[in-house]
Amino acid sequence: MPARNVKGNVQAQDKILYVANKLGLSSLKYMQATTRVIYDQSTTAATQHTLFEGAAARSFPLTNLGANGNTFQVDEALLVEKIAFFVPDADDGQNFASSLNSYKFDLIIGNKTVMKDVVVEYAGQQAFYNDGTAGSQVIDLEGVGILIPPQVEFKINVKPFVTNTRGAASARVGCYLFGTGVLLNFNTSI
Amino acid sequence: MVNAKLGATMPGQQTTRYIYDSVVAAAGQVNFNFFQTFAGKTDLQSNLTTNKLDSSESMVIKSIYVATNVTQGLTGHSNLNITVGNQVVLKDFNLAFNATNRGVSFDRLHSGIVTTDYVEVRLLTDIVIPPQVNFKATLELAEGGTLAAESITLGLKGYGTIFSAGSTF
Repeated sequence: MPARNVKGNVQAQDKILYVANKLGLSSLKYMQATTRVIYDQSTTAATQHTLFEGAAARSFPLTNLGANGNTFQVDEALLVEKIAFFVPDADDGQNFASSLNSYKFDLIIGNKTVMKDVVVEYAGQQAFYNDGTAGSQVIDLEGVGILIPPQVEFKINVKPFVTNTRGAASARVGCYLFGTGVLLNFNTSI
Repeated sequence: MVNAKLGATMPGQQTTRYIYDSVVAAAGQVNFNFFQTFAGKTDLQSNLTTNKLDSSESMVIKSIYVATNVTQGLTGHSNLNITVGNQVVLKDFNLAFNATNRGVSFDRLHSGIVTTDYVEVRLLTDIVIPPQVNFKATLELAEGGTLAAESITLGLKGYGTIFSAGSTF
């Protein structure tokens, strides 16, 4: 939602409906609200990765996107509120670990870059993030997040690097997008 | 609001509600179905006898809790689906990011508990279980290694209403 239109405490579902209205998605407001996390992994160590693109060719546990890959079905959407990066333990992608790396990434939805050269710094949220002794690998999106609408491709280009030396790191990378979601809900149409 | 839309307008006692179900695993099992069978379960394995709430009861799920002693633990990727009626209300949800302390939890204030046997996730949206509607949950673990007779429990926490005689007779 544009900042000039924000009055008071705008919530996630307000933003979803605002954007859906702008895009002409008139039925989205009748769908099932949910909490959703989607993730994808690149299990070959490299200094840069493209995540979510081509996810339809991967299956669980490498990704939880299913056959539709990096597009949501009709009347499904996700308002991204948090983005995190992790390190797959092995090629099978069954488990993962944290690391001391930071991650520079772009989030691209359709043909538009909606987050550009953003960095998730290792332990970068320590002022207000507590996960035991582990440094945060999560970034909270400012405002109320960014909506990925139905049937539009999205992807993340990411480069891992060593936080304190700022050198490139060759590593496996996984990423999740977490936030308020919308699931298809047939009410009266069938 | 949901109850009113469904025509379930009988007032009830507001409360905090927690429902749970446990599954005793077979060797190698990685797919688990919850709130499907209740026969022979102790009151510590499930506090329901059917997969519906009573006619005067409803619930809003705010948190999801899993406890287990399966060999592989809960740190590997997982797919949790919750279905209410014929509607999937939580789809392919991965609990693992909140398991242990790896710095990727959804919650800013995370317990960071080191053991791999317990995880809880706070939801962003209200998921309603109306009265007299079937619900179920399925959980798929990416990692194998489950041994026979190991146990896994799924709990749904939130608030809701229970039968209140005082305001209805």
